[in-house]
Amino acid sequence: MANDPTSGKPTEPEHPGDPAGLDPAEMLRMIRQQQEAARDATEPDGRVLFGAWGLAWLIGYLAMWSTARDTGSPEGWAGWVLAGCIVGAVVFTIVHSITRTSGLRGTSARVGALYGWAWFLGFTAFGVMLGAMGDAGASREVMAIAANGFACLIVGLMYIAGGLLFEELRMSAVGGWMLVTAVLAAFAGMPNTYLVMAVAGGGGFLAMVAVEQVYRTRRRSPGSAERAEGGGRGA
Amino acid sequence: MAGVPDDLDPVIHAPARLRVVASLAALGRGDEVAFPKLRKLLDMTAGNLSTHLRKLEDAGYVRVTKTHEGRMPATYLALTDTGRTAFADYQAALMDLLKGAQG
Repeated sequence: MANDPTSGKPTEPEHPGDPAGLDPAEMLRMIRQQQEAARDATEPDGRVLFGAWGLAWLIGYLAMWSTARDTGSPEGWAGWVLAGCIVGAVVFTIVHSITRTSGLRGTSARVGALYGWAWFLGFTAFGVMLGAMGDAGASREVMAIAANGFACLIVGLMYIAGGLLFEELRMSAVGGWMLVTAVLAAFAGMPNTYLVMAVAGGGGFLAMVAVEQVYRTRRRSPGSAERAEGGGRGA
Repeated sequence: MAGVPDDLDPVIHAPARLRVVASLAALGRGDEVAFPKLRKLLDMTAGNLSTHLRKLEDAGYVRVTKTHEGRMPATYLALTDTGRTAFADYQAALMDLLKGAQG
């Protein structure tokens, strides 16, 4: 029972649900806090992931743009900066997601793993296609448009799919914005295609950090329990 | 206001068990959480958590799955559909009490 002898401390730090002094508002607040804590422990933090990708795109593509502006095409070192930023964001995303979702199994874990593989396969195919285009004699400008446009296309579609899979419509909205970015980047031409990637792409991700923060604060504010329906996913 | 009101499920209406159920309800339907992860999330002792889980399992609210990962035994917990419904009803009852108190 509640007074388990193996417990080294009182079973509860607080007793909002003490039946003798029932306070429904306090109990609803406790439910909300507990569910927030459970989500924090089991779901990746959108703010952190959007932030990592926003910074990676902003820094990487600004490096490409700033060097392409002088010479017409990006310097080699800028390419390495971009590659380093993307690889860093990929590693960070994998580590963060695995840490948060460890100890879970079931539908979400299976769907999440397949979703991760879809990203990997999509960008592998992307790299092979770019290589084939280069071999076929595509100019540097065509390569740049294809690389930026296709990257945004894959990201956009994957975000739309992810939003549908995880029932996070904000994620789908980001995907839609990335498709817009793909079009803008394709028509911007050299070297501004890279500026579009940095500002619209990276900036889009960074804007989502603020949006996520607003939603998070609102969800945790007093009174949100009354707005919440059922209090649990699919409850 | 003494005792548990009739419309509040006594199985859920204990702070520790309410926290267990609320945590499990935050998982997706069809998802399970390993015992150590749940224990850490709730900051309960293993013995204490086991006791509450047994009570919830007896009520049909929680499904306990014992399995092996490699050679290590592992236990996974999930809310059953009955448990999910009971938790939703419990929250609705709290909501009614709150409205009653305010109105």
